[in-house]
Amino acid sequence: MATTFVPKPLRGFVIPVLIVVTWWAAVRFGWSTSPLLIAPGKVWQTAVEQVASGHVFSALAASLRRDLIGFAIGAFGGLVFGAALGASRLFEKLAGPSFHTLKQISLFAWIPLLSVWFGLGDAAKVAFLSLAAFFPVVLNTFEGIRSVPADLLEVARVLKFNRVQTWAKVILPAASPSIFAGIHLGLIYAWLATLGAEYLLVSGEGIGNTMIDGREHFLMDLVLFGVIVVGLVGFSLNWIASRIEARALAWRGRSVAQF
Amino acid sequence: MAHAGTLQIDHLSKQYEVKGEALPVLDDITLTVNPGEFVSIVGSSGCGKSTLLRLIVGLEDDYRGEVRLDGQRIVGTSLNRGIVFQEHRLFPWLTVSQNIALGLLNGKLSEDEKAASVREHIELVGLGGFESAYPHQLSGGMSQRVAIARALVNRPEVLLLDEPFGALDALTRAHLQQELHRIWQAEGITMILVTHDVEEAVYLGDKVVVMEPRPGRIRRIVPVELAHPRDRVGLPFSRIKEDVLAEFAGEAEAAANARHASRDDFDNERAGTRFPLPAGLRFAL
Amino acid sequence: MKRDLLITADGIAPPSLAPQLHASPVGAALKTQATRWPRLPDWLLAWPLPLAVLAVWTLAAHFEWVAPQVLPAPEAVALTFKESLLSGELWANLQISLLRVLAGFSVGLVGGLALGVAMGLSPTFKDYVYPTFKAFAQVPVLGWLPLLMLLVGIDEALKIILISKAALVPITLNTYKGIQGVPTRYIEVARVLEFTRWQMLSKVVFPAALAPIWNGVRYGLTHAWLALVVVELLASSEGLGYMIVYGRQLFQLDVVLAAVVVVGAVGYALDKLLALAERRLLGWRKEAF
Repeated sequence: MATTFVPKPLRGFVIPVLIVVTWWAAVRFGWSTSPLLIAPGKVWQTAVEQVASGHVFSALAASLRRDLIGFAIGAFGGLVFGAALGASRLFEKLAGPSFHTLKQISLFAWIPLLSVWFGLGDAAKVAFLSLAAFFPVVLNTFEGIRSVPADLLEVARVLKFNRVQTWAKVILPAASPSIFAGIHLGLIYAWLATLGAEYLLVSGEGIGNTMIDGREHFLMDLVLFGVIVVGLVGFSLNWIASRIEARALAWRGRSVAQF
Repeated sequence: MAHAGTLQIDHLSKQYEVKGEALPVLDDITLTVNPGEFVSIVGSSGCGKSTLLRLIVGLEDDYRGEVRLDGQRIVGTSLNRGIVFQEHRLFPWLTVSQNIALGLLNGKLSEDEKAASVREHIELVGLGGFESAYPHQLSGGMSQRVAIARALVNRPEVLLLDEPFGALDALTRAHLQQELHRIWQAEGITMILVTHDVEEAVYLGDKVVVMEPRPGRIRRIVPVELAHPRDRVGLPFSRIKEDVLAEFAGEAEAAANARHASRDDFDNERAGTRFPLPAGLRFAL
Repeated sequence: MKRDLLITADGIAPPSLAPQLHASPVGAALKTQATRWPRLPDWLLAWPLPLAVLAVWTLAAHFEWVAPQVLPAPEAVALTFKESLLSGELWANLQISLLRVLAGFSVGLVGGLALGVAMGLSPTFKDYVYPTFKAFAQVPVLGWLPLLMLLVGIDEALKIILISKAALVPITLNTYKGIQGVPTRYIEVARVLEFTRWQMLSKVVFPAALAPIWNGVRYGLTHAWLALVVVELLASSEGLGYMIVYGRQLFQLDVVLAAVVVVGAVGYALDKLLALAERRLLGWRKEAF
């Protein structure tokens, strides 16, 4: 590929275009007889169908609802637990080791246990999602609180801040970059877990379930459509979280310099 | 303006415990700071001058001796004693005004009075127009000025400054020294400045306290009876500056001699002579 | 006490933080609290909570507050654990899982390094490949699962591909960013000293990029382990994940718990291994901080 052949802004599109063209050609010229090889056009058709019939929206709504509820519970619990770990050395010594041990267990290994205790429905899924968001939020909150510079705490002492003031005006704002990073990670994990929960706890509606259905009925177009939707949602969630983070942490300025 | 009290330090001693051993940091410090005075403290590293300041402001305790402000023993921090550190220590998530207002958080003024005081102090340090700027947008010199305003906004009796201009470039430093002097004259607050810049100490101070290390002691107090504004290159100024510097030259010589002493003593013992002590070494007080 | 917080496209919490955080300012400020309590050694304080949980668990199982299928007695779990360990069942499944994750991780590692290096060193390559790569990375590993199931069935291929994808994304991103992020200052020094291209790469770029690359490798392994567990839960007939699933289906929670414990232990061990290697390779960096 000549380096000067394609102008810079368009280069990113070369590969995707090539993929789609090859794909289309494969279908058109029958390079494979597999029933899995469906035309790109068919995928588009399915997409339109799904949007028009509203299926995709109800599936997404179900998935996102669970996602956000689980995330909210996990993030809130994570903030409280992480703050407690950060605030109290005693609490850290009592609960910290147990937490760090449980954290080692690969996330999805929890599902079978949760399914026994909570059943196979939404309750188990939401419990799982909360767990997924919980761990990164706790870790980052804890680290944020413990990383508050001693310099600033001394200023608080000189200015006679009481406990509440020190927390509200020094510790939490200073920890906020870490806390936001943790919440962002929690969001990412919760979305990942949403899909997993739908695969493993097969009941009810959801975008993951849509894809499983598609797979079981060998509907490649539906599955591909699902993949695209999942990618878009993941991207959007990420983007929204980044925007919020950027706004809230605007005081940091361009350089990622230290306090 | 502020009716400051006298700061009286009597036989102040402090030691740290390092791995079970006592490390003396300050030894028998006695000093009187009169209301409205500007006292400069100079010394090389390890002479405990920062510790002294921290004891006065109340960030450290556990000392022997007496430290009293206006007759009252100093216990813990107080809004009556402000401090400016070498790092500006501004809260990066607050604007200039908000940072200065922090000083008034626990003050006893009404909201309006607080706002007025913040405005007044922004003008005082010459940062009018930067009320809504964030620390990352300010230069080092400007940030220090905000730190000074924050420390002054409570109208404390005493303002302590721990090498406040050490992290700044020479030009900014000279400029801020002038600014500090102007603020001192305007507010009349007692100020105690710790620095290792002798010129700065003589330029600003009514008296220069020379400290020596290991353990930290006051070697000598040099009065600076020059009128303001002071001419840094004038003869009287230079004399006093040389006087203070000599203390350190003596120290450097003494250190060098200590290194040679063990060797030369031996040689001289054999030759029957001894090296005289350097003239600059004075252990008064 | 700084640490790279390179958040990758399908992100992950940073590898274990706990040890570095005890000597921190807030922690020190809080020390005054701890001194109020009896001076018990840390390791002792770690036990009350898990022991209390164990006590409640034993009581609950003993008095059957919940059905035994839902909550087996701790002794039963311990017994099962011992049995499956002795019978070799646990070990056999563990081996299979480990082999899988190693295979998948290696593929992901090689691919990720190659891709990351290529993108880091060649802006042209990056222009063409990065946008597509990023788009693929937006879809988490699980999103690809149904598609891959259709394409390659549920054999080993599926598992290896998914595990490699899970490892590949963070490794590629961190490698690319690591190379890109080599401070210009070092490059300039190398240019003044007239380094050849090879010298520049081997003496400046790679050592400087090694830290973020290693970070990516650690994330990659953790992600690979994560993907392994999921894929075994969903589509496998052997391995630790499978043990969990069949135990669950037969309501043999003791089997499930035993397997979960092993999953946790292996995850921990893998991460610790890499941390150890990191200390060896990047010791110079720790000293700088």
